Amino acid sequence: MSLRKVLAVALGILSAIGGFVDIGDLVFNTQAGATVGFQLLWVVVIGVLGITVYSEMCGRVSAVAKRPVFDLVRERTGFGAGLATLVASEVVNLMTCAAEVGGVAITLQLLAGLPYRVLIPLGVLGLVLCAWVLPFEWLERTFGYLGLCLLVFAVAAIKLHPDWGQVAHGFVPGSHHGGSLLVYLYFAVGLLGAAMTPYEVYFYSSGAVEDGWGPKDLGLNKVTAILGYTLGGFLSFSLMIVAAVVFLPQGITPELLGTPPLVAADVLGQVGLLLALVGILFAVGGAAIETSFSGAYNLAQFFGWRWGKKERHAGAPRFTLAWLVMFALAMVIVMTGVDPVKLTEYSVIFSVVALPLTYLPILLIANDRAYMGGHVNGKFANVLGVVYLVIILVIAVAAIPLMILTNGGQG
Amino acid sequence: MSKVVDVDIALSILDHQLVDADGKNCGKVDDLEITGLEGDAPEVVEILVGGSAWRSRALFGRLAASLSGDAVHVPWHEVDSVTSVVRLRRPASELRLDRGDDRWARIIGKVPGS
Repeated sequence: MSLRKVLAVALGILSAIGGFVDIGDLVFNTQAGATVGFQLLWVVVIGVLGITVYSEMCGRVSAVAKRPVFDLVRERTGFGAGLATLVASEVVNLMTCAAEVGGVAITLQLLAGLPYRVLIPLGVLGLVLCAWVLPFEWLERTFGYLGLCLLVFAVAAIKLHPDWGQVAHGFVPGSHHGGSLLVYLYFAVGLLGAAMTPYEVYFYSSGAVEDGWGPKDLGLNKVTAILGYTLGGFLSFSLMIVAAVVFLPQGITPELLGTPPLVAADVLGQVGLLLALVGILFAVGGAAIETSFSGAYNLAQFFGWRWGKKERHAGAPRFTLAWLVMFALAMVIVMTGVDPVKLTEYSVIFSVVALPLTYLPILLIANDRAYMGGHVNGKFANVLGVVYLVIILVIAVAAIPLMILTNGGQG
Repeated sequence: MSKVVDVDIALSILDHQLVDADGKNCGKVDDLEITGLEGDAPEVVEILVGGSAWRSRALFGRLAASLSGDAVHVPWHEVDSVTSVVRLRRPASELRLDRGDDRWARIIGKVPGS
């Protein structure tokens, strides 16, 4: 591999790390850390491995069949099941997009001090302008790289000198002690949902088609999926460790999105605070764009419209209209005054319920020789794929009862 | 493609992507019009795209169909090839398959930078 290519791959991985964390991860990782300490670190590992396995499959399907996953969902499962998947995924996409937009507005408020309700439309306007003007790679990279400012939480986690023995113990599966088991399970489900959000795989596969991936890019696909998500997982660990060290002993539940950056300020001063806020702004803003595009990709691919960010906007008009409408609806939802943190919790829990509809068709298509030829899933991918499908089915059934029984994790 | 087609092959293209002569997406194979099903020589006459073509497709389809207009009928002889997508012989506009995208293209096209 030439140096140039290594650099390109490294840059892609960096933006994948920066793009890993969204508002769901921020909320669930800090709340889980603040509530049960290090005990659920192992669940993040499982979540990260799950999204890696399924993203790799999606990327492979896109590279070999040259078509994104949702395009094939309808072909493979038929109109009825395809439409049900479309409706479920659009509801989840919209809720997630609204939560991210709320997160952008809160972060802007902390940075600029203007009223929240003024910053909602301004934030949406800024995101729409970026999405309208910037080409696909620029969009991905700008938000991905600036999202890397979140690494400030990794520095903070180390500087806080946690008891590393206890941290290591948190990576042992099932190590529940003290506190309510139901709350523990609720956060486990939420963490899995936050790590494995459906929009990520839809966006990843459509992005791969837009980037013109072919069978020669299968190696790139594997490396980006594995390294990007695994290293992104370290950001999740950091958030949870920071919350466990700072919030848990004081009995603080970070109900506000502005609470975690204060830790960075505490440990690293003004610069830490600024980095944390910029990191959150771009991580969450990038996710807002990804969810709105994901919504548009799915709709266009189900109905067979022209689609793609690579097209001129007028060349794929209904696709363009769809992501603009996603942003508009998300803005309306947030303007009603609904609490973005609550909205995030709901969006993650509902996305868990819809997860089987996302992941089952992917597994079927990745095993279909008519589409994949010799690039169908190997044994390893299939064993993991099936194991995760079982996990997903279990948490999909458990998610809403757990949310109700624990009053959203408050016990 | 030849006029006499294997109905099994035709049914397998249900829900596949339609691509026009210019390589542009122009809908999905939402339904098929087949004649002679009672006889021994059934034949696919038309591909139906959009709107009322969803009526026969599950409960959701009936709902979606009731909210939209008439389907576009594409005669089978307009089909150029069937691979993983169904390629048509003519541009979408000549087959009236561009109604949705073209209508919105005029509006979106007015925005700077589009």
